[in-house]
Amino acid sequence: MKSRFALVLACSAGLTISALPALAHHSFAAEYDASKPVDLKGTVTKVEWTNPHARFYLDVKDEKGNVTNWNFELASPNVLSRNGWTRHSLKEGDVVEVQGAMAKDGSNLANARTVKLADGRKVFAGSNTDPK
Amino acid sequence: MKKVLFAFVAGALALPAQTPTTTPTPRQNAVAPAGGSVDVATQPAAGGGRGRGRGPERPKGPTPHMQDGTVDFSGVWQGGGPIGDIAQGMPKGAVIPMTPAAEKIFKSRQSKDDPEANCLPTGIPRIAPYPWRIVQAPGHVFILFEGNIHSYRQIFVDGRAHKEDPDPTWYGDSIGHYDGDSLVVDTIGFNDKFWFDFAGHPHTEQLHTIEKYTRKDLGTLDVDTTIIDPGAYTKPFDLHFTATLRPKEELMEYICQENQQDAKHMVGFAGLN
Repeated sequence: MKSRFALVLACSAGLTISALPALAHHSFAAEYDASKPVDLKGTVTKVEWTNPHARFYLDVKDEKGNVTNWNFELASPNVLSRNGWTRHSLKEGDVVEVQGAMAKDGSNLANARTVKLADGRKVFAGSNTDPK
Repeated sequence: MKKVLFAFVAGALALPAQTPTTTPTPRQNAVAPAGGSVDVATQPAAGGGRGRGRGPERPKGPTPHMQDGTVDFSGVWQGGGPIGDIAQGMPKGAVIPMTPAAEKIFKSRQSKDDPEANCLPTGIPRIAPYPWRIVQAPGHVFILFEGNIHSYRQIFVDGRAHKEDPDPTWYGDSIGHYDGDSLVVDTIGFNDKFWFDFAGHPHTEQLHTIEKYTRKDLGTLDVDTTIIDPGAYTKPFDLHFTATLRPKEELMEYICQENQQDAKHMVGFAGLN
């Protein structure tokens, strides 16, 4: 039902979406580990609408109240724009849930695959694949 | 329940988002399996609800020609060259004929050193995963790249010969001619700095490429490239890739150096990534 809701939502918005491949200028597998998925919810602290990747930073609080700031890589602003995003789509203070893949080097960096907004909309977010 | 019914709900983001009024929930603070159903496609090129992993439809129609009968190659294209591995443009099972010296370089390369990851040009035949435009003008063909980097190639189609002893450059010295419905581009004068792909296939300054562009219909551009480099390959070999017309697209600014954070996080040998 969730999926059907998403479909109805997108269609009712009257959006024409011209999607283009969202591959990156670098090997995904060299930077991220698809076998290490990450699923985090937190508050957006900064958005960088920049090339080669848009990024947002997320404060995530653990059970003890400790806050960690994560760096999430998105596709390029060009790819995001072609897929309906704008530079205003995410903003500081937004509470979002992100699914993605962790960086291989163990830093608090991840590639965002989907972003779920506070109102429940879940959106494709990035350059989460290498060419096959 | 179908996991994916619609490719991108991303467009909905253009609408005013609901302003969160609650404190973030400390849902998970560590790596966790991202299971469960996903409302949107996890593959990128599935616009317009055409299904997971499929790009926009290729425009259909006959090959366009200019008034003088020359094939009109102009337009915004995507694809047409190797991204991950040049082997993807070769017959299945074909062996890339590297010399021992080239193979040694290939096996030592680290992904973090990939010039493209570091916002340097792709060179030839590599293509970035961004749109590019062909512009035909009298005596010239220009290729404008959105990414990587925001640059261009100039191909002289006025009958001139190659420069004598050209300085080694990222895109080399290109001369071309029309051969029937194809554009043939001969390029020498390359530097040895760019990689052919994410995998790190190398070349030397002896590289000589012959590209044949054939617009076999409105939306399809075949790019057949012969790689000749006795410094790195024991014999010439051919690559075949296909570019797709993106008629609704325009090139967008893409300044890769603006906020490049990737290279410092990349790990491992390029050939294994």
